[in-house]
Amino acid sequence: MSFIETYTPLLLSGLWATIRICFLATLLALPLGLGVTLLLRRPGRALPALARLYVEVMRGTPILVVLFLLYYGGPSIGLVLEAEPVGILGLGLYGAGYFAEIFRAGLQSIPQGQREAARMLGIPSWRILLRIELPQMLRLVTPPVINQIIVLIKESAALSIITVAELTKIGAQIANETFAVIEPYLAVALLYWLLIELIALAGHWLERKAKHG
Amino acid sequence: MKPEATDKPLIEIRNLRKRFGTIEVLKGIDLAIHRSEVLCVIGPSGSGKSTLLRSIAFLEAYDEGSVTFEDRLIGYREENGRRRRAGEREINADRSGFGMVFQHFHLWPHMSVMENVTEALRVVKALGRAEAEQIGREMLDKVGIAAHAAKYPEQLSGGQKQRVAIARALAMKPRVMLFDEPTSALDPELVGEVLAVMKQLAQEGMTMMVVTHEMGFAAHVADTVVFMDQGRIVEKGDPGATFADPKSNRLKQFLNTWRERSI
Repeated sequence: MSFIETYTPLLLSGLWATIRICFLATLLALPLGLGVTLLLRRPGRALPALARLYVEVMRGTPILVVLFLLYYGGPSIGLVLEAEPVGILGLGLYGAGYFAEIFRAGLQSIPQGQREAARMLGIPSWRILLRIELPQMLRLVTPPVINQIIVLIKESAALSIITVAELTKIGAQIANETFAVIEPYLAVALLYWLLIELIALAGHWLERKAKHG
Repeated sequence: MKPEATDKPLIEIRNLRKRFGTIEVLKGIDLAIHRSEVLCVIGPSGSGKSTLLRSIAFLEAYDEGSVTFEDRLIGYREENGRRRRAGEREINADRSGFGMVFQHFHLWPHMSVMENVTEALRVVKALGRAEAEQIGREMLDKVGIAAHAAKYPEQLSGGQKQRVAIARALAMKPRVMLFDEPTSALDPELVGEVLAVMKQLAQEGMTMMVVTHEMGFAAHVADTVVFMDQGRIVEKGDPGATFADPKSNRLKQFLNTWRERSI
């Protein structure tokens, strides 16, 4: 099988790019999503409305459109970035909207009474968040967060359209060179599947660990 | 302990009103609680008794009237004749004399029993671990749970959980304990152990306000019984007279229903 010999290094470079991009995008999306969730709970109307708007826009826009806006529209507001940073930024901003919803649901499922008990003891609200809500919330949201990371990995295929040399782009490139379609895309599918299985396994491990303290 | 009539009340409630949307849940409550008094609030569901307790604790912001603790207005500040909602720190300071126990315990499930009891000591009173745990052990001992200090809430029975919740509140040395139906979520055979702890507290002179359906507890431990219905205090008096000779038809009905049920 000369196909495998010839194209393995290229495929692996694409896989590495996908891993790198998704890792950095998740690293951006998780804290940003948490920030959006916390804004939703602020008193007053302006900040929660802004956070709500953010979530609605990100949920209501295809990732490809977000990427086009950043990549082609970015320069008109002075944001000139190469394709890969745009991809990371776009994927991160997009993922943050989903993570925010997951975190919001997680916080909501902690009984209100736990907060009241803490307030009655005089515990300040930021300490309640840090010591009582976040530790429980993180356990609750581990499965949906892992699921959302998997979705982000698959969505990252859209970065091929803005010329990022990630796994799908590499697959297309090989298909163009060899006029073979089945082999390169099967190889790409297999690599995505392996990556996602690994993430899922890590997720199960985290869940088990969380359950046993 | 019997409060002296001439004592200045520890908590004074004047014309307290609370609305949820268009429904008025508290329709002008006047009530005083004296030092070392045990006051039980009884009444049917929806009578506003829990809302009264929660308004005193300022877990609900009341709409009109006042709650004062040693002459300090709870939850609001009055400036130039206008009233504004107090900030978080001010409210925390206002209610620092209150300990509260909830129907559903509301222990923090990710913390051990000891951590539940010492969390506020460490965070609010900034005590070191050793010092906090010493107080924690004393409190757990007091409610008979010291042996379970290292366990997590899910490993405890409902009665044990509620006793931990009482220890958690007591650790902060409150001047008044507020109990919101502390035994209503318990299996019948676990009610006694919680009531015993509460009775012991009462005998030690703790000022207590207890919203409860436990008529036996109200009859035997309370100094004062308050009967609420539809957002108003209908009757108030010492438990002997109130239960033996209710003045209002509403309380007569309520007590009859309760007696029929307990046969």
